[in-house]
Amino acid sequence: MYMKNTKLFKLLAVVIAVIMVVGVMAACSKATDADKGVTEAVADAANNADNGDSDDTIYRTLDQIKKSGSIKIGVFSDKNPFGYVDENGKYQGYDVYFARRIAEDLGVEVEFVSTEAANRVEALQTGKVDIILANFTVTEERAQQVDFALPYMNVALGVVSPSDKVITELSQIGTDDAVIVISGTTAEIYLEENNPEITLKKYDTYSDAKTAFENGQGVAWANDNTEVIAYANTVDGYTVGIPKLGSDDTIAPAVTKGNESLLNWINDEIKSLADEQFFHKDYEETLVDTYGKDYEEELVVEGGVIK
Amino acid sequence: MQALVTDLGFDVLFKGTNFTRLLGGMWVTLKISLISVALSIVLGILLGVVMTFKNPVTKAICRVYLEIVRIMPQLVLLFIVYYGSARLIGLKFEPEFAAVIVFTFWGTAEMGDLVRGALQSIPKHQYESAYSLGLNRSQTYFSIVIPQTIRRLLPLSINLVTRMIKTTPLIVMIEVVEATKVARQIIDANRVASPNAAFGLFFVIFVLYFAVCWPISLLASHLEKKWSN
Amino acid sequence: MADTVLTINNINKSYGDNLILNGLSLDVHKGEVIVIIGPSGCGKSTLLRCINALEPIQGGEIRLDGELIDGNSRNIAQIRQKIGMVFQNYELFPHKTVLQNIILAPMKVQKRSKVEVTEEAEQLLERVGLLDKKNSYPRQLSGGQKQRVAIVRALCMHPEIMLFDEVTAALDPEMVREVLDTMLELAKNGSTMLIVTHEMNFARAIADRVIFLDGGEIVEEADPEDFFTYPKTERAQKFLDTFEYESVKHHDNEY
Repeated sequence: MYMKNTKLFKLLAVVIAVIMVVGVMAACSKATDADKGVTEAVADAANNADNGDSDDTIYRTLDQIKKSGSIKIGVFSDKNPFGYVDENGKYQGYDVYFARRIAEDLGVEVEFVSTEAANRVEALQTGKVDIILANFTVTEERAQQVDFALPYMNVALGVVSPSDKVITELSQIGTDDAVIVISGTTAEIYLEENNPEITLKKYDTYSDAKTAFENGQGVAWANDNTEVIAYANTVDGYTVGIPKLGSDDTIAPAVTKGNESLLNWINDEIKSLADEQFFHKDYEETLVDTYGKDYEEELVVEGGVIK
Repeated sequence: MQALVTDLGFDVLFKGTNFTRLLGGMWVTLKISLISVALSIVLGILLGVVMTFKNPVTKAICRVYLEIVRIMPQLVLLFIVYYGSARLIGLKFEPEFAAVIVFTFWGTAEMGDLVRGALQSIPKHQYESAYSLGLNRSQTYFSIVIPQTIRRLLPLSINLVTRMIKTTPLIVMIEVVEATKVARQIIDANRVASPNAAFGLFFVIFVLYFAVCWPISLLASHLEKKWSN
Repeated sequence: MADTVLTINNINKSYGDNLILNGLSLDVHKGEVIVIIGPSGCGKSTLLRCINALEPIQGGEIRLDGELIDGNSRNIAQIRQKIGMVFQNYELFPHKTVLQNIILAPMKVQKRSKVEVTEEAEQLLERVGLLDKKNSYPRQLSGGQKQRVAIVRALCMHPEIMLFDEVTAALDPEMVREVLDTMLELAKNGSTMLIVTHEMNFARAIADRVIFLDGGEIVEEADPEDFFTYPKTERAQKFLDTFEYESVKHHDNEY
């Protein structure tokens, strides 16, 4: 799937050539009023063009990052409690907490880049960010396109249901019953593949799904286990009957493919942070309000070691 | 009343700096669209003049350019300029800058076509009438052709400007945090505390866009009225 | 005869292979009113446009006061100031008021003072009965009014010769008279005029000389009385016949 997109981009390259002429012209004519970095960018482009292949210059090595004095980390800005912006405009969350630590230990400033889920791979491949720390689940397909470091969190699917009729196994779901999912999520994909006999009711947004579930449109709601746990913890009368469904996935930082110096540094960092139980502290700072103490061991991965 | 304020999520607006952040997001929107509009008008006028040339080469180039802009969704253009440029030639634009390029690229094409149409709608006899009074070429352009062109152009270009402003939410796809993205951030940060915040926030976004676009439309209809007398 | 103002010497004009004017020559004298008539497509409008260099010619030459008229020369705007032209469709500038239409060229081209030009414009408007319309926009005027403004606009440049290109052809019949009266008034005051028209009675009344044009050539050139009563050529006779109607009723009544 993603490879196709890459081909599409190569195809579009011809078109870009035309567009770039216009773009660069526009850039030159207005370098003063929009962005001072443009002239340098154009110069860079010229240099890169001379070198031919520019793939090896897309990412910044550990040394380059340290030298520049700042690191660009792609995080979510609207996925509470992993990466979000609080009412004072400050980035917060489990991923953000780790990102700040990385910058601190590197001795550089951190620059957060608000990232959309669909653009995470692209942002790394085009060097728009140095690291992605955005609830990025490790999959085989993604691992071909970016380099994942050691994991720092577990993720699985979970199913929540009303406390008076808790569903603890999928077999309890009758043929007339429906399960609520949000379109495009892992839960939807998993259930369609592995339990095609279950009727799904799909909603586009979290709030639609929530309303439907509370109005009894389905006997259960399947989503990331972090989501259903958070839900059951805040709304009375609901229980997570199935806290783990399907295979265990992990969440890990990712860097541009081939950026070994940065990857190795992050891996060493994750390992050494185990001494101080950093991710447990992170959990207690950012996730405990949402998930409660009970799920700490279930969710946190310390030192990159999966138990 | 208190209940309504809470239910519809208006209370979220006044938490911390949320409201200022929304305004900040709107400013990003405005900044990008106004710079793009200004550039589009200048470049579009030049393009429009070029498009009236009879030269087959310039005609073909303009045609291809216009078709590209018409066929390509703005979102694709954004991706090409922001990600594609990095991939192809290692050109790292700031996202705001990429957005200005794309919006200008789009606006220039549409503006150019509008200018061409307006220029060609000035009858040949208007030129002749001016020439026969002894006006030279530049006097004819500045006193006769351009003022009439601008009058014909204005309502159409105002329409283009408001369309450009309204298309800016697309730029969140290249990581620009503008008004609708800020709204989504606020909604998400308060997902549990105020599940209905979406209504209140998008209502505010509506009001903000209205506050920006309405005066522009008013100005347009005012000028139209003034010129039709 | 008085001084020659305009000399047209053996000009050719064609659009591609289509010959419009074929070796045409004509002298126009100061204070003379010449009416050009002929079937449509005979080249009469083209002739006026060539005089004003709105159309290039392929042979021969046109001179105003001995100065060559050439659309590509640097001083063409200079020469055009001396030639007033009124078009069939008025061609007022729609974004300017009546007064602004009139004073634009005198101010921009002749660099005359606004006060002086405005004063003259108002006098001229008064003469054609349109002073009360000076602040109106063209679209607020009737066709006849617009055409009178167009005449005033040309006059205000103090041209040596006025060209009228079928100026009543687009007008409703009841408005034709007011425009023709304005032109008669000009003729009385000694303006040099070259008029293309289909109004035969008017032509007869105003002309010092009538030129009959057909196929890009001057077929007949005569005093108006002679031309309209005893045309010498068959072609002119035939043309004039097309304006005559035989009554089909009331045979005993003479109109």
